[in-house]
Amino acid sequence: MNLLEEQKLIFHDIRHKIGWSVNIRYVIALLGLGLFSFAMFYGLTVISATLFLIAGLAGYNFLIHLIYLFSQRFKLWQLVFLRSAAETIDVLAITIFIYITGGLDSPYWFLYLVLLVISGFGVYSLASLSVFIIAIFSALFYLGLLTLTYYRILPSYGLVVNLTPQQLLELILNRAVFVTVAFFLFSTTIFYFSKLVNQHRKELMKKNEELLGALEKVKETDRLKDEFVATASHELRTPLSVVRENISLIEDGVVSLDGPKGKDFLTVARGNIDRLASIIDNLLDISKIESRSLVLKRQTTDLTQIAAKAIELLKHKAEEKQIKLEANFSRQPLANWVDADQILRLFINLIDNAIKYSDPGGEVIVGLEISGGNIIGSVKDKGIGIAESDRLKIFDRFIRVENEKTNAVRGTGLGLSICRGIVELHGGRIWVESAVSQGAKFIFSLPRVEG
Amino acid sequence: MSRKILLIEDEAAMSEAIKLRLEANGFTVIAAFDGQEGLTKARQEKPDLIILDVMLPKMDGFVVCRMLKFDEKYARIPIIMLTARTQSKDIEQGKEMGADAYMTKPFKSEELLKKIRELLGS
Repeated sequence: MNLLEEQKLIFHDIRHKIGWSVNIRYVIALLGLGLFSFAMFYGLTVISATLFLIAGLAGYNFLIHLIYLFSQRFKLWQLVFLRSAAETIDVLAITIFIYITGGLDSPYWFLYLVLLVISGFGVYSLASLSVFIIAIFSALFYLGLLTLTYYRILPSYGLVVNLTPQQLLELILNRAVFVTVAFFLFSTTIFYFSKLVNQHRKELMKKNEELLGALEKVKETDRLKDEFVATASHELRTPLSVVRENISLIEDGVVSLDGPKGKDFLTVARGNIDRLASIIDNLLDISKIESRSLVLKRQTTDLTQIAAKAIELLKHKAEEKQIKLEANFSRQPLANWVDADQILRLFINLIDNAIKYSDPGGEVIVGLEISGGNIIGSVKDKGIGIAESDRLKIFDRFIRVENEKTNAVRGTGLGLSICRGIVELHGGRIWVESAVSQGAKFIFSLPRVEG
Repeated sequence: MSRKILLIEDEAAMSEAIKLRLEANGFTVIAAFDGQEGLTKARQEKPDLIILDVMLPKMDGFVVCRMLKFDEKYARIPIIMLTARTQSKDIEQGKEMGADAYMTKPFKSEELLKKIRELLGS
């Protein structure tokens, strides 16, 4: 949630609360008026003394109502200020009510409770603390009123009139203690409940945010899947269209099967069919690796044997291109707990790439060594190299560096991404060191695990 | 005089096949193998029609298309986009860039020829 949205929420929360308190005040004012009429009817003068206060409250509430109606035009800080002012006036008024109607016996305690509830249950105000601020405020104000009473500046409402100063002090102190305790008792109760409610609400909001995050993730996965399907379709269609067109050229007699070109066209078509088959194989593997449904068949394996086997398998291809393919590691067995087939595949992919991107006369060196807790494997060539900007993305699927040198080389753009998948499934990592036309060195590290 | 078609396609085998097909149908074909070369040849040779792949090295086919279509000297040369990108958003983009037709691979050669004749008005 960004700051602006949060501010908006705060604004609406405060505005909403003001609106609510307006309505409640009207109800209270009406109740008070009813109570007063009832009192007048029976000639009870103590309650009738609150008439003006009730009328005042209604008038003041009308003012707040106006603020509520026009609050859309206020700035946030103005609204916060107005709300604080309204709450302060509420606290003062209620404290006066309680004071006039005799402290603990006052029926206006329920007003105080209402005020606490209004101010206590909110997400954005300092809900839990505001009830204590109100308690402190009312207590101080009430004590102030009592002090004025002691010095006979205020008449002593609800107190017996002819008391000695000693008795008066005792009574006032009594009241001060009980009423203050009552203020804080109520506040603590509301504090406790509001905290429970707010915590619950916060948890809900947090869950909500988590859900939204998860939804985003699903959307992103979906997008990646779509992209994958689109790219895969593109990769399959390209060789397919070559095959189709070559066959139809021969079929339509544009190219004669008897001439030298006819055979070329068939060879190209077959080559593209092989390419299609290899793309499909790779696609199946990559989807297995990415969905983590490829289960490694780990066993204690001598990695030097695997590397040697890969070199043996690709020797012929290297010789065809007059490339020197060399093993640069000792024949000392290097046992590790890995999936032998997958690691062989990893070596084959890397060496095959190195041969593909090397010029005739070049060399490819396969290395294997122990470094700390890891086994480091590498395949180094003196080929066309990889620009720095491409060094990370070549491991992404379907990414092939495109330039005049790579265009001559056939590839699906899946080999390195399969390599990365295999290495990561083994808990290792793979990277490349290179510079353009300086050759490339693909390095992978596998954690040493004894089976 | 035979009509001149510029074929911008990076896949050598594909280019060769289309070239033979078009030549067999009496067109003259100039081949270009990347976007930049294609753009240069389009400006030099002023072909009667361009067949343009999308995924090209150096310069994207959409960019080539836009650069030609937004240049009034070349805007009237019809462009057929011929690509393995089949998603509707790609087709949409091709149209936005001003391509006259959008064909997807694998294509039927008779349909390609039909489209070419239609666009050349012959």
